[in-house]
Amino acid sequence: MKKDKALEDLFLAQKPQFDDSDAFMASLTRRLDAVEYLKQYQEATIRRYKWAMVATFVIGIISGAVGITFLLAAPANVPLFTFHMHSVFLQWLSENSRMIVAIVLSLLMSFGLISIIANLQDIVRMKKRDSYSVATEYSL
Amino acid sequence: MTREVFIAYVEREQEALRGFLLALCCGKKDDADDLAQDALVKAYLASAGYQDKGKFRSWLFKIAHNTFLNHKASCRTMNSIDEARTLIGGTPADASFAHQDLYLALRTLPPKERSAITLFYLSGYSIKEIAAITDTSEDAVKKQLSRGRDKLKERLKL
Repeated sequence: MKKDKALEDLFLAQKPQFDDSDAFMASLTRRLDAVEYLKQYQEATIRRYKWAMVATFVIGIISGAVGITFLLAAPANVPLFTFHMHSVFLQWLSENSRMIVAIVLSLLMSFGLISIIANLQDIVRMKKRDSYSVATEYSL
Repeated sequence: MTREVFIAYVEREQEALRGFLLALCCGKKDDADDLAQDALVKAYLASAGYQDKGKFRSWLFKIAHNTFLNHKASCRTMNSIDEARTLIGGTPADASFAHQDLYLALRTLPPKERSAITLFYLSGYSIKEIAAITDTSEDAVKKQLSRGRDKLKERLKL
């Protein structure tokens, strides 16, 4: 498509000149500072939340370990729980109660462990990014 | 992209960006500068994902164009009041500006036609580049340019 000469001339003639570029850049820099501050505040909040998650999962794992210790310390020939009802399924549950509880606890502990690792990785990544941005800021 | 690289790029491109937005805002300098600042903050937040292929200006214009469209969509009611006021009083948007006729004529165009015309005639982009910036097909850009040009010529009596 060809340009319309008259329109092109009109647009070129109205091309504005800005004599307040310094003020514009100063204003932009102030805005970017505010954005940086908010980003850092937000990241600090997320980091605190992630530490709280890690602490919760650690407590969960410790509780799981205590549960498994209790399981191992309990007499092997006595089921952990019994149902006073005649049902094949409930009877099977009470017969295998030790195994079922052990499996559930192990699964929960594995989930806790994976979550701890994931959260710690996130925290380390966020810290690295922070230190990088601080380093570049001070290299100005 | 680090902050200082971003600022260096912006220093180089800010006049073109402000000129583009000034045309889109039909000569309203304060609105144009506010939109430019908003667009630049958005660009800064997205700059981590920017891959430098020497097209920083196009990338910036794309963000500015979207910011402008969002702004237009968010204050549609205000705009119609504004437009009505212009029609009744014939008051120019910025009396100190020398090229009111062009801005008033641009004001009659829908935002997408206005963007296409401004990018084509003011910023000198090709149809392919405009299609990339405005996220539309080349055919759509051609139609917008053709319609916009006819309306402008009629309005400006060129």
